Amino acid sequence: MDNKHNLPSPAKFWTWFNPIGRQTGGWAFILNRVTALGLTFYLFLHLVMLGQLAQGPEAYDGFVALMHNPIIIIGELLVVAAGILHGLNGVRIILTTFGVSITRQKQLFYALMAVAVVAILVFGIRMFTA
Amino acid sequence: MSQNKWKITLKIHRQKEAEAPHFDEFALDVDPDEYVLDAVERVWAFMDRTVCFRHACHHSTCGACGMRVNGVEKLTCITYIRDVTQDGGTLKVEPLRNFPVISDLAVDMGSLYSRLDTVGARSVLPVTQAEAEKKPADWPAGDEQYIRLADCIECGLCISACPSAATSSDYLGPAVLAGAQANGLKRNPELLGLVDTEDGLWRCHSAFECTAVCPSFVDPARRIMDLRKQVFVERFSRVFRRS
Amino acid sequence: MSKPHAIIVGAGFTGVATAHDLALRGFDVTVIERGDICNGTSGRTHGLLHCGGRYAVKDQESAIECIDENTLLRKIVPQAIEPNGGLFIALDDSDLAYGEAFIDGCEACHIPLEQLTPQQALRLEPNINPRLLTAFLIPDGTFDPLRLALSFAANAKKNGARFRTYTEAKGLIMDGTGRVTGVRILDRQSNKAEELRGDILVNATGAWAGEIAEMAGADVPVKPTPGVMVAYDQRFVQRAINRLNKPGDGDIVLPQRRMVVVGTTSFEIDDLDYVPVLDDHVDLMLERGAELIPAIRNARIRGKYMATRPLISSGSGRSAARTFKCYDHKETHNVEGFVTITGGKATTLRAMAEKTADVVCEKLGLNAPCQTKEVPLVSYRQYYALPN
Ligand SMILES: Cc1cc2nc3c(=O)[nH]c(=O)nc-3n(C[C@H](O)[C@H](O)[C@H](O)COP(=O)(O)OP(=O)(O)OC[C@H]3O[C@@H](n4cnc5c(N)ncnc54)[C@H](O)[C@@H]3O)c2cc1C
Ligand code: SF4
Repeated sequence: MDNKHNLPSPAKFWTWFNPIGRQTGGWAFILNRVTALGLTFYLFLHLVMLGQLAQGPEAYDGFVALMHNPIIIIGELLVVAAGILHGLNGVRIILTTFGVSITRQKQLFYALMAVAVVAILVFGIRMFTA
Repeated sequence: MSQNKWKITLKIHRQKEAEAPHFDEFALDVDPDEYVLDAVERVWAFMDRTVCFRHACHHSTCGACGMRVNGVEKLTCITYIRDVTQDGGTLKVEPLRNFPVISDLAVDMGSLYSRLDTVGARSVLPVTQAEAEKKPADWPAGDEQYIRLADCIECGLCISACPSAATSSDYLGPAVLAGAQANGLKRNPELLGLVDTEDGLWRCHSAFECTAVCPSFVDPARRIMDLRKQVFVERFSRVFRRS
Repeated sequence: MSKPHAIIVGAGFTGVATAHDLALRGFDVTVIERGDICNGTSGRTHGLLHCGGRYAVKDQESAIECIDENTLLRKIVPQAIEPNGGLFIALDDSDLAYGEAFIDGCEACHIPLEQLTPQQALRLEPNINPRLLTAFLIPDGTFDPLRLALSFAANAKKNGARFRTYTEAKGLIMDGTGRVTGVRILDRQSNKAEELRGDILVNATGAWAGEIAEMAGADVPVKPTPGVMVAYDQRFVQRAINRLNKPGDGDIVLPQRRMVVVGTTSFEIDDLDYVPVLDDHVDLMLERGAELIPAIRNARIRGKYMATRPLISSGSGRSAARTFKCYDHKETHNVEGFVTITGGKATTLRAMAEKTADVVCEKLGLNAPCQTKEVPLVSYRQYYALPN
């Protein structure tokens, strides 16, 4: 009998990201996974690009020019946002793990996310006006 | 109870042996002040005798009737219909996640029960230990002598809701870690080897879904965090004891 | 000789205890249950581990069964019991008058009893009605219905019994000489019909016992009598609080986990498979419960539910006997290989099983003494942990 379809399995990894039916802590969990994947992806991209830079001065100049493209700036902002969200979410986990704010973990999450939004805005404004 | 009846559609997860899982719909007249379990039982009594579901006490002491109602884990015997749908609405009822489905809504809780035994989770304990956090002011003197059934009713809702449990069947899970915490590392040093492991304490990633769905005041998330502290203190002091 | 095969229909208290007893006596046991363990009345019982006080005046046979079994169960299944005792409290003159007969009854049934002044009682249980006139301390308790049954089932399974849950008995197989040789079942997990053969069939379907007996052309005088119970969300007391009077509606308040449960009522019905929880009965529980523990008025309802007593019909409702009966249908209807056990109470599950297993052994000409009084039960969790 196939009664295993309900069991945990990496083959159904997309269900790990399903926010439906989840509550605050679950959304925090999903946010942490998504930002972690994003940052990991970026790390690889970053390494590839560093490799390109080593190709010589033209490549370097081309790269610097590319970096002023607004689309790239948005991309960079996304990276910064993911870093901030992931980092502050990590702070939430550290605090609760050490017994701080366990009964108010939702409030803690919302407060940290408010900080994250402000920080992302500040970064965004500076990046686009610089 | 209110006099007005609601018309609702009950969508029940169905799966018999070798059959692909699907949903069957049942149109039902309900009292909004009835419980979800009453509606499911009526489907069995009057509409479809083959519906399988687990239930026993109907008042939240046995933990048998855990299901997912509209996607969220609920103890169906104490979940009012009015709290989860409205007149003309639907109620989607599914089996708990992360347990093998026996049939329809019934799941096999063997893994939870055997792990609870492994960590020696107590089913009865002195009242004073059970209520350590919240002791009513007007309690009689000498209450240490009283024994009561533990808070955890072993319903498995926390395991179903836990996103970490969804990634690995080997994770001990919130209820089991909470049972270990209630025993305490001091009193039961052998627990250290069971919970200070990859599939024990450290697989928890602080989603707090367990505490959000627990119908019986166990607060497993808090207990997991507390057990981590106990493990940390124990490991730390062992370093010094050795040197 | 190979082991005799006993088929038990029904996995309520009676069925699982009988499975445990027969497995210990060396039987090969198969239990058929259309739901999971405690699907019927047993799951939804009030949960009072009776000490017999309730029956000490009118039904001393039941009272003695209760105190004996109460003492035993505390020893063999402590894992499912809150063993904190109980109080019978008097609130008016009629209660006081009943007190006389109560003392005599408890003495006759060897139920240990201690009379308390109102002050002493209030010191033990500050939340009971402060207007009480007197109180008696008796050895009641509370049990967890599912875990009590699972403990017996786990032990049966450990000794080789098989549990076919989600499997409904649809008909009996007769061999033409008036002998039951098996049962036709429907496995609800697969929707497949099967036949199962055995040397003896035990009908332990409680309030449904009449339906199974009818399949063999027999009948049992069981009168299904439901009652309503209401659970409130605070544990006001540590002990079972009983009204000191003859048994009536809503006269017992039980602590259980973080709740108290008020019960119960008594009415008669036709359709056994779904009994509604009647609103006026719920209101009555609040009213009667609050007489014993006034603070219940400030508590919230956590669950309202009902269950159906399998009363043996001699007399009706509350006056019907609360003892159990084991029918050998060879004697009642000349049907061989078929016994019914019904009536009784949760508290007497082990005694009911002992009686049934005695009858079964005698019918099969076996000499295997009962061992359930001595054997402490394994963890109830082993029922789900052990392979079937
Ligand atoms: C309101 C109320 C309060 C009570 N309070 C107490 C109390 O406080 N203390 C106490 O000691 N006792 C109490 N009792 C009594 C006690 O609960 C019952 O005596 C006991 O549960 C009966 O158990 P049983 O196994 O005989 O029946 P059940 O538990 O009803 O078991 C019968 C089983 O047979 C199954 N079945 C039926 N038909 C079929 C079929 N065709 N095929 C397969 N399976 C089938 C059912 O699903 C069911 O699980 C109370 C009873 C009621 C009604
Ligand atoms: S911890 Fe809570 S949710 Fe988990 S099994 Fe125990 S009672 Fe159920």
